[in-house]
Amino acid sequence: MRKYLLWRVLQIIPVLFLISIFVFALLYLAGDPVALMLPEDATQEQVDALRESLGLDQPFYIQYLSFVGDMIQGNFGYSYRYSQPALPIVLERLPATFELAFASMIVAVLIAVPLGILSATKRNTALDVFISGASVLGKAMPNFWLGIMLILMLAITYPFFPVSGSGSVAHLILPAITLGTGCAAEMTRVLRSSMLETLNQDYVRTAVSKGVKNFFVVYKHAFRNALIPFITITFLQVSTLVSGALITEVVFSWPGLGQLLIQAINGRDMAVVQATVFIVAFIVIVVNLMADVLYRVLDPRIQFD
Amino acid sequence: MKRPFLMQMMPIVVGGLLLSGCMTNEENMTTAPDAGGEGGASSSNDTTLTIAQGSDMVSFDVHDHSNTSTEAIHVNMFSYLVKNDVEGEGIVPDLATDWELVDDETWQFTLRDDAVFHNGDPVTAEDVKFTLERVAKDNTLQEHENYRQINEVEVIDDHTFLIHTNGPQPVLLNRLSRLGSGILPKDYIEENGWDHFLQEPVGSGPYQFVEWIRDDRVVLERFDDYFGGDVAVWDQLVFRSIPESSTRVGEVIAGGVDIAMNIAPIDWDRVNENEGTSIVEGQTNRTMMLVPNHREEYPTSDPLVREAIDLAIDNQALLDNLMGGSGTPTLTRVNPGNFGANEALHGEYRYDPDRAKELLEEAGYGDGLELTLHSPDGRYLQDRETTEVIAGMLSEVGIDVKIDFMEWSAYVDLRDAHEQKDLYLIGLTGSLWDAAHQLRHHTSMVAEDHIGYSSEEFDRIYLEAEVNMDEAEREQQYIDLQTMADEELINIMLFQLDSFYAVNDRIQFEPRLDEMWRVEEITLSE
Repeated sequence: MRKYLLWRVLQIIPVLFLISIFVFALLYLAGDPVALMLPEDATQEQVDALRESLGLDQPFYIQYLSFVGDMIQGNFGYSYRYSQPALPIVLERLPATFELAFASMIVAVLIAVPLGILSATKRNTALDVFISGASVLGKAMPNFWLGIMLILMLAITYPFFPVSGSGSVAHLILPAITLGTGCAAEMTRVLRSSMLETLNQDYVRTAVSKGVKNFFVVYKHAFRNALIPFITITFLQVSTLVSGALITEVVFSWPGLGQLLIQAINGRDMAVVQATVFIVAFIVIVVNLMADVLYRVLDPRIQFD
Repeated sequence: MKRPFLMQMMPIVVGGLLLSGCMTNEENMTTAPDAGGEGGASSSNDTTLTIAQGSDMVSFDVHDHSNTSTEAIHVNMFSYLVKNDVEGEGIVPDLATDWELVDDETWQFTLRDDAVFHNGDPVTAEDVKFTLERVAKDNTLQEHENYRQINEVEVIDDHTFLIHTNGPQPVLLNRLSRLGSGILPKDYIEENGWDHFLQEPVGSGPYQFVEWIRDDRVVLERFDDYFGGDVAVWDQLVFRSIPESSTRVGEVIAGGVDIAMNIAPIDWDRVNENEGTSIVEGQTNRTMMLVPNHREEYPTSDPLVREAIDLAIDNQALLDNLMGGSGTPTLTRVNPGNFGANEALHGEYRYDPDRAKELLEEAGYGDGLELTLHSPDGRYLQDRETTEVIAGMLSEVGIDVKIDFMEWSAYVDLRDAHEQKDLYLIGLTGSLWDAAHQLRHHTSMVAEDHIGYSSEEFDRIYLEAEVNMDEAEREQQYIDLQTMADEELINIMLFQLDSFYAVNDRIQFEPRLDEMWRVEEITLSE
């Protein structure tokens, strides 16, 4: 297991390296930040002076090497927009995004577990068809639209929750529902198929033939064993939650990484974009690693080799 | 179960880029954010004013940003040597009670003796020297270009100082009243360092810092020892950052915020039809215009073609159809409120499509003319629609317009590389409130590389005016320059853009031309 873990940790390095090239090239090609930092009618001298002071007059490879050299030392550069190092700006937003992701995950699990079990135990009934249809709908609904609809219905027409912002549990509910429903849809589908598979296993059939009550068959025998892929998919939803947070955080003015990234891209604040993508990439890698390890711990049939 | 890592990352990066492209870059639209987690409850509090901007403020470093929405918050926290009452008396005292010109390059100022910073330190001439010399000498600061004209600040005593300039500087007072001139506490910064100042900023304005939760809210509270006394009815100010326009409108309707800015026409009815909220409009200093290419290879280098384009566009119809009749047609980009504005050209426009057809005939384009019009999409209020309607108006006189909509940064790149074709649409403002700022862009120092325009006569008058300490003469010079710019149609002016706010009816609010949130002017309705 130790060898496996070491191997997986070492895999992170080339992945981060590839991401560094990808992000740097993308932003390099996306345009000149200086033009966006200065007023529309700034003089050429102003543009040249600022470009030089930021090192943007250097060739691509020098800018990239300088970026990688600094990054290895934990320096992601200086935010033009906020006039301070980029990394602390990004780290400051992490708790808000974790808070939203965690709340969304709770919403997703609360929806997915009962619906997934019901769907599997009532297979091929009208209820199953309904749940399957709702899952497709949940997955297909754009976060942006769902967020605005929830605001209209539950914050303006019936003002149960605040429209936007942060600071209390009430502020968290609408964005968590918005973000959690998409994940719940996928998790419901996975739990359903996983439950169907375990319900067809011999030990379940044995339990039924022994006269074990239906409730215990489903929850003690089938559900526990169906949890392995479900937990894995739950972990893998973290990247979905982070990407979904881009839109959800903007709609609800949630002060997390998503909103920061959008504003940084708009302002060509390269250092913040790079630092954000790296931190998000790192989180996703770590969560994936955790999912992989957990998968193997939960299911002893899978070997660490 | 396992998806390749890059596949998982792709939606994050691509989603971000796409969304950023779809969003309006509102912060740069001269426009920038409830307190303590109460959310929608704040507006019911009579002494808390909550304002929603399209983006967050960027820094408390008054010298290292060029962001109107940030400055709009700073004006409540920092004091300036002078203020510019752009719609009234012009330059008026703030920290400085008196000022006089000692010689063409030296100004003497007297500071009031009762001003204190929020940490209790008195405001002295040493603080002024510290503030102004920092931005004047450090060329890495974003506002350096507007302050490099200051050579030295010489302290005479605690409340008297001289500002020595590099050459005559008739617009010095305008510079000192604007972004970058908030006076900083020298001792506090030197004792605690800049990083501490940026976390716990201290000024000498009517409101002091409470908290800043980035991309969420900035909270300020009344400073009891402000030298001006209780200037506003508000105990607490909350500036919220709400980037999504429909959410800003939703917050005003739900009572979560008192004033939300940058409201698109599509939401006006929703706000006005809701009981207790209204749309309030105000002027901005931004003028929408078409910039023609004067280089020989483009038809727009022909004055007859430029005149035909000008005559083909019904400026008032643009406003009536796209802006609900708000905004002012104009023939100059120097709006009233700016020193040197040629008011005879403001509020005016020319529209004569028949004459436009004749001019095109004269210019040799009787069989038709094809032009490319570059336009940003989502940068300014109704910019896409404005471009489309202009294209329709031009086609009526025989000009076939190929519209080239561009994402803002690509648009800026094209313009800065001087690779634009016949025409582009842009909205320009002027934060100096002096015609020198706007008219510089018609001089050969700027326009020659940019659009291939140069005029020795224009340059001569401009350079004379730039150092002319005779106010009346300088004003006339700027008026004459605008007349020249209009006659030659260096740019084809469209209209002065208005801004639109959703406002809770409990608030009495008149938007300022300079788009600053001077909260002493915002009161409770009777």
